Amino acid sequence: MRKVLLLIAAAAFAFGGAHAFTLTVAQGSDIVSLSPHNTNDQPSARVMRQIYDTLVVQTEELELVPGLAESWNQVDDVTWDFAIRPGVMFHNGDPLTASDVAFTLNRLRDPAAGAPAAFLVGFISSVEAVDDMTVRIVTNGPFVPMLSHLAHTATSILNERAVTEAGEDYGTAVVVGTGPFRFVSWEVASQVILERNDDWWGGDVGPERVVFRAIVEGTVRAIELEAGAIDIAYALEPRDALRARTNADLTMAEIETLTTSYIGFNAQKAPFDDVRVRQAINHAVDAETIVDVLLEGFGFPATSPISSQVFGSNPDLEAYDFDPERARQLLADAGLAGGFSTTLWTNDNPVRIQIAEIVQAQLADIGINVDVQVLEWSTYLADTAAGAHDMFILGWVTVTADADYGLYALFHSSNFGSAGNRTFWSSDRLDELLDLGRRTVDQDERLAIYYEAQEIINAEAPWIFLNTSIEANATRANVTGFVPHPAGHHRLYNVQKN
Amino acid sequence: MLVPLTYARPVHWGEHGTKPALIKYIFRRILLLIPILLGVTVIVFGIMFLTPGDAAILMLGENAPQAELEALRERLGLNEPAYVQYGLWLSRAVQLDFGRSIRSGRPVTGEITARLPATIELALLATLLSIVIGVPLGVLSATRPNTAVDHSATVLAFGGLAMPVFWQGLIMILLFALVLDWLPPSGKLGGWQYYVLPTITLGTSAIAAITRMTRATMLETLSQDYVRTARSKGVRERSITYRHALRNAMIPIVTVIGLQFGALLSGAVITETIFSWPGIGRLAIDAIRSKDFPVVQGVVMFFALMYAVVNLLTDILYAYLDPRLKTRYS
Amino acid sequence: MAATTKVVPQRRRSWFALMRSSPRTAIGAIVLVVIVLAAVFAEAISPYPPNQQNLRNRLQPPSAEHLLGTDQFGRDVLSRIIFGGRVSLQVGFIAVGIALAVGGLMGLVAAFYGRWIDSAVSFLVDVLLALPGFLLALAIVAALGPSLVNVMIAVGIANVPQFARITRSAVLQVIEMDFVTAAQAAGSRDQRIMFRHVVPNSLSPVIVQVTLSLAGAILAAAGLSFLGLGAQPPTAEWGSMLNAARPYIRDAHWAVTFPGIAIVVTVLALNMVGDGLRDALDPRRRD
Repeated sequence: MRKVLLLIAAAAFAFGGAHAFTLTVAQGSDIVSLSPHNTNDQPSARVMRQIYDTLVVQTEELELVPGLAESWNQVDDVTWDFAIRPGVMFHNGDPLTASDVAFTLNRLRDPAAGAPAAFLVGFISSVEAVDDMTVRIVTNGPFVPMLSHLAHTATSILNERAVTEAGEDYGTAVVVGTGPFRFVSWEVASQVILERNDDWWGGDVGPERVVFRAIVEGTVRAIELEAGAIDIAYALEPRDALRARTNADLTMAEIETLTTSYIGFNAQKAPFDDVRVRQAINHAVDAETIVDVLLEGFGFPATSPISSQVFGSNPDLEAYDFDPERARQLLADAGLAGGFSTTLWTNDNPVRIQIAEIVQAQLADIGINVDVQVLEWSTYLADTAAGAHDMFILGWVTVTADADYGLYALFHSSNFGSAGNRTFWSSDRLDELLDLGRRTVDQDERLAIYYEAQEIINAEAPWIFLNTSIEANATRANVTGFVPHPAGHHRLYNVQKN
Repeated sequence: MLVPLTYARPVHWGEHGTKPALIKYIFRRILLLIPILLGVTVIVFGIMFLTPGDAAILMLGENAPQAELEALRERLGLNEPAYVQYGLWLSRAVQLDFGRSIRSGRPVTGEITARLPATIELALLATLLSIVIGVPLGVLSATRPNTAVDHSATVLAFGGLAMPVFWQGLIMILLFALVLDWLPPSGKLGGWQYYVLPTITLGTSAIAAITRMTRATMLETLSQDYVRTARSKGVRERSITYRHALRNAMIPIVTVIGLQFGALLSGAVITETIFSWPGIGRLAIDAIRSKDFPVVQGVVMFFALMYAVVNLLTDILYAYLDPRLKTRYS
Repeated sequence: MAATTKVVPQRRRSWFALMRSSPRTAIGAIVLVVIVLAAVFAEAISPYPPNQQNLRNRLQPPSAEHLLGTDQFGRDVLSRIIFGGRVSLQVGFIAVGIALAVGGLMGLVAAFYGRWIDSAVSFLVDVLLALPGFLLALAIVAALGPSLVNVMIAVGIANVPQFARITRSAVLQVIEMDFVTAAQAAGSRDQRIMFRHVVPNSLSPVIVQVTLSLAGAILAAAGLSFLGLGAQPPTAEWGSMLNAARPYIRDAHWAVTFPGIAIVVTVLALNMVGDGLRDALDPRRRD
């Protein structure tokens, strides 16, 4: 099937003439750096995805397939060998070797380098080049999810010589990868220009040039797309996306993201130590309304801590239905028929403040009097880590699209406080499952483990499960082959323009 | 934006009428700038120093180990008393070294100089526009007081002063980019088209201020004795307006242009945000939002420097155009 | 006491004269009175509570029920503009009040005592003036954190130098006058001279500056709110209303248009009154 499609595409090229075209993409912010060791922000990652490759590739369907590593095998519980793909060339002409890989991962891990994404390789105990084409990674404990970590843009493989020679300039003036596009220039706060790498190991690359523009205003980004000045707009604001859906000149490419927003309880503090109270509040909050009002419907009520795009997400779970009557009953069962007063913390994020207000109004209906308090970010993090809160609003992005990343930090009892579990809720069975998930290689077994874990979390309700969101990307109608990735780092080499 | 109508600004300098005096004045004016800029550094450092939030946590993230945080604090001098920290900061700031951006890890000065030209371009264009439109409009108003021309100019000027930059920007994008599709809505990708909307948006309040100022001073000079004398001698009205009156009116106009430059720099912050203009105004907003204090400090100092240079130039021009030089010959 | 009784009736007479001679000032004053009354009696005249959400009635165009339409939460735009006027005027008055209190005192003391005090104050004023006002306010709000109170403080501080300068020069002129010299010769205490004689007679230019600064302060506060650094939701403030409704500008322009018009009208009215006052009160400009 795939071969036939390729043939058709090749024929189209042969007859239509391979036309060179520039693809202009707009996103909401400028990049920070094109060195994956200098930043961990989304706009930069979206560009780096085009320039660099990773050892493992996570497809749009979240399959983990070989990338710069042609294959890998697990030597023992904690030791993995990766065979480097032969014949891969960096944009500066250097061949890719195992030592580049070891250099990259060690530099990312090095506290002195201060890489914001170092946490992604926290599982590594050591990395070394066994020979020219083999890299050995030893992990701190059994850690099967490592493959999804090694597919994240932040673990993109760099060229040791280029990084060392460029020094300070690496990531701004000098950027060298192995990916489908090579770096041409970066006009600060304006645009990044890339051009096709004709020697890419992965196959043919569609666009001859790719221009990433930074257009801050959401409305303006939409207007530029409608006017045809850009070919693809990432992450339209909900209102503009609604409009784009009905525009015949545009094609939507919507995708559910890896983000879940939630309100956490302090489960060690009364009355939130009673599961009935936590369930009651889940029944009293209408997540549907939040999705409709704040996201214009561009999201889904959450059923679990991880979105449906994450590997391990349990599709059978149901969201707590909006049922104030049941909520009142549960409160009464917990001996709180008269309601109670509590606080809800948020940082000064406007969307979160709005969520807080909607929740405040809804909880008032079942007799819970909520005082919304807006805290400064660092105070917010410190105080929630210390357990000084009643309820707090946060979001979590499962960046690796693997359940381990979305559950372990947030629910394992070893992670109480600043490590991520700010609800201070735990269960022995859940701890067991989460540890098992890191050790289990068989994918079906892993799925079963995470399904059960989410059932427990859903029933115990340490959170108000609010919602996931949809990233509303849109292209001009003449753009084909754009397939959005749930992580937001969409690959562009397959895109065509007619 | 805060002082759109404050026309008069006392300028303190002594008697001078000859060239050497002017040079001496310029020299003194530059010397005076040094303590003032030093004062600004105290304010800028003080504001950021008083800000809650731990720079070390901001840089390393809240999950960083305590030991690393402590090491970074030591390295950044955050454990020193305030005056030592200020001294350290100042000794680098005078060499235009404002440290590194928390967000990007790059030197702040580099981040600023990469974007400075875009802001200067925009501010100069807006200034130019405001002079080219404001001065003739003011003259027209003053030479035909209480006519339809005068009234329309006044209405325009008052409207321009009252228009919030951010609102005007949005409306202009909507009208000229979306409805009429004449101009690109945002960005700075080379063509002249990209300059039109931001320049007009930024320049509007300056146009208004300069129109008002020109009108007022022209009315005043047109009623002066030497103008009456010239008139009685049969000098043509046109020549009176431009040769005599406007020349003398230029002095306060020059001052208001200098003052407006400050308002323009302020307006640039919002204009650049709306139009995705790659200048330092937008950099400032991004830095404030991400609590990137070294960048905020650097940008504010650069703004102060630019404003100081422009004010210096205005004052020099002012001294050069000093009316006592002119009136002596009339 | 004598000085005060002398000043008041004179001012009242010129106020009426001013209105009659300058229709522009009169229009501005009338508009301003309407805005202030609306703000004061907001509860009585606004058709809905400003924060009452009606999520089923979102982004409705102007109608008989909602004269200026509804916003993204189904809140009545007209009611929010009325209450927003209260917030904007409050911010303006408090910010200018801070500037007047601090700057006015600085200018008064500097002019009255002269010498090193004058030099010190003038230096401080020059330093503050070296930063464009809005930027100074922006930096202060950035440091203090986004909130309405911080906006008032920031905009207030940013306006201090104007008031210090104007008060200083006004007081310098008054001090030279005979009755002050006479009072000094008679051995009156400094404070008494300052507040009985000097202050009442230096008020004119300060009043003009208050009016004009109010306009500037309202614009600046709205600008900060627009950047998300001022009023936080759900507070109805014109700038933050604009900011919040920005994504809806193409579907529900009324949620953006009307708060914008409210700002323009208020600032326009203040500027017209201020301009008229200056023409009337500033001796240099009097024909």
